[in-house]
Amino acid sequence: MRIYKKIIGCLLLSCIVGAFTASCEDDAEPILKNDCLKRTLGSNVVGEEIYFAYAMAVPYGAGRIESAQVEASIAGAEGTYLENNSYHTDENGVDTPVLVGDSCVTEGKVSTVKFTVETCAATLRYYYKIPEEARGKTVTFRFSARSAAGETVYTEMGPYTISSMDMKRNLALTKAKCYISIEDMAVYNATDAAEHPEKIDLVYMWRSSSRNPGFGHSFVAPAADPEYLPDIELPAGVNRDAKIRKEWGMIDSHLTSEPNNGTYIDDVDFQTMDFTNKPDYAINMKKQGELWVETQDGKYRAFIYINDLKTISGGTISMKRYTMY
Amino acid sequence: MKKNIFSILCAFLALMSMGSCVNNPVDEDGLLITNRTDCYVSNFDLLGTDRLSVRIGDAEIDNDSCTVKVTVAYGTDLKNLYSQFTLVTDAMLEPKITGLTDFSDLGHPHQYTVVSGNRQVRKTYTVYITVEGSETNP
Repeated sequence: MRIYKKIIGCLLLSCIVGAFTASCEDDAEPILKNDCLKRTLGSNVVGEEIYFAYAMAVPYGAGRIESAQVEASIAGAEGTYLENNSYHTDENGVDTPVLVGDSCVTEGKVSTVKFTVETCAATLRYYYKIPEEARGKTVTFRFSARSAAGETVYTEMGPYTISSMDMKRNLALTKAKCYISIEDMAVYNATDAAEHPEKIDLVYMWRSSSRNPGFGHSFVAPAADPEYLPDIELPAGVNRDAKIRKEWGMIDSHLTSEPNNGTYIDDVDFQTMDFTNKPDYAINMKKQGELWVETQDGKYRAFIYINDLKTISGGTISMKRYTMY
Repeated sequence: MKKNIFSILCAFLALMSMGSCVNNPVDEDGLLITNRTDCYVSNFDLLGTDRLSVRIGDAEIDNDSCTVKVTVAYGTDLKNLYSQFTLVTDAMLEPKITGLTDFSDLGHPHQYTVVSGNRQVRKTYTVYITVEGSETNP
């Protein structure tokens, strides 16, 4: 009986020791660590980049990093890559690159950099060029790193919603090139406008304040009261209407590089904008002013930012456009 | 001496308790109703959807005839304007301005009533708008 008790006691003790050992193994933390930051702000627009900084490290003297890779849930467009430079901030606060690996290899959804220098820490940048395929969907990213000892770590980022809207920057306006198409996100001259009049939503014009007080730079729907289209002879068939809402100080960081607070127009702004009782003209617009426009058929809504206006006829606009149906 | 101090303390406490019982009257919007009887408009402006003033020159405010006359820029979208009143201290405006107002029917000018701080004096102002360059003046 005493022997049995001893045997049972030994078994229990070994179980406890075994369990303790096992739990210690489970709790063993990997020495390879990683972390990630999304550095771009605002809405994610097709054709633009989402930019991350991915950091990985093992303790000094405890090994080296062998490779890093990023897998996107939707393959990025051409121009998607993981940079083979590691960045650090120098004493002047400037980001300084240090080459750490071979050029990135991107195959489908995966971008990989193999390290060619012995380093225990690195921060690589990942640029995801938003593809057309991702429009209106969400995208996630799995960042992972591998040490020379075979240890791997990963961190997941997202999901990030990709906007449905389109964007076009720096469309030039001139006295001759003054017919704006929201559908095409383009500005045409009279000849081109006459070829597809059903796409012309706005006419840009400038009238001297001395001859037309309060007129200046104006954006008017072709179907507006001719009073707001002085001396304009519209190309044949150009007769669409539009609804226009004037804005000021609504800066979109995608459409201008002017200093601002990092504000962006996104899909929800188009969806919720109220165009009830809005006019079909906006006269005397100023540089850095904005317009919300809804096309006659309600199919498109646009946000137009006026980047620049000359003291005579001419200027530059940028546009975000959302398709309502 | 002790008696005097005790009396002063009692009186002070009594005053404090009386003070705390006074309820300042407020109206249905939580605005303080005061004793002021002044009732007038000191400034007026009209803003477009871009929140910029569309006014040309100063608004003409006549507090005797209770009229506000304002000229707006040519091409102003009269259907979508924010009116902006500055009133005498403690006064309130009826109806409240809660968003864009349609001023396009120039033949039927909008009216707003200014109510004094004591809520006893009411003056109804008529806002006349003229568009720059138009021939019809109020």
